[in-house]
Amino acid sequence: MHIGDGLLSWTWPIYYIITIIALYFALKWARENLDEKHIPLLAVMAAGIFAIQAMNIPIPWGTSGHMMGAALVAIVFGSPWAAVIVLSMVLLVQSFFGDGGITALGANIFNMGIIAGFTGYGLFEALKKPIGRFPAIFVAAWASIFVAALAVAIELAIAGTFPLDLGLFYMGLYHAVIGLAEGAITVVAILAIQNVRPDLLPWGKGGS
Amino acid sequence: MSPKDKKFLMGGILVAVIIAFLAPFLASTNPDGLDSTIEKLIPGHEAEPVYESPMPDYTVPALGEDSPWGGVIAIVGGTIIIALLALGLGMVIKKDEPENNQLNKDE
Repeated sequence: MHIGDGLLSWTWPIYYIITIIALYFALKWARENLDEKHIPLLAVMAAGIFAIQAMNIPIPWGTSGHMMGAALVAIVFGSPWAAVIVLSMVLLVQSFFGDGGITALGANIFNMGIIAGFTGYGLFEALKKPIGRFPAIFVAAWASIFVAALAVAIELAIAGTFPLDLGLFYMGLYHAVIGLAEGAITVVAILAIQNVRPDLLPWGKGGS
Repeated sequence: MSPKDKKFLMGGILVAVIIAFLAPFLASTNPDGLDSTIEKLIPGHEAEPVYESPMPDYTVPALGEDSPWGGVIAIVGGTIIIALLALGLGMVIKKDEPENNQLNKDE
């Protein structure tokens, strides 16, 4: 879902401004909440998400997709700001490989860090009681990539690149399917962390 | 960093490096959701990157575009770089906790 240079037309600086403001709040969150014990988790999340984003999974219609990871980070850290920090690092390094344009970096962080992180975190918090923790993780992760995809379609429609209706249709369709992988991998990753270091999770014993 | 945290860090990075190593061999080369949508809605669109990466699309040009080993170098290298970057940034942006450091270490 990495937007390349040129597709956003004149609108790309808007997303840089939003992203820089969000990064200010994300760093403020870290200053107040990120304890030393969680730094290895931050590094493992960033490395793991960079790697798994290179693992495109085939879906129907000759298309593929990869996991995004923002919901995973937001749920594991109990804060969407952690997702903003991790995805910013991942997307910055990816842009040096030509994966996502340099001018579109702000928009890519906005979509895959901010929108996906807040969607994933918000839905998880809303759903964990009524439907249970792991079903909530699956739904939140699915929705995080689906909503981010719709946001991309809207942004590209504003830029005059896509017609809004067809953009929403195709982006929504493809990412509704890719979201199933996002949901499944997010559940597996959180189960794995719970298995080895339950104390690192917000609901784990001894966790903060 | 406690031994427990170090073990988690090294184990986690190892898992990430294994995924990175396998990705060039296993990943689908079909266009992703956004690229597919671009092909449908603006056929013939050619991306013109503002910045020319020396390793475009995780390939090492010297090894040829079709060699998966260029991908291995780029993605494994990127994975290790980002782990170090996150560790460094984490140390800089973490909260100050001069007193209860000891308490949090091993529980």
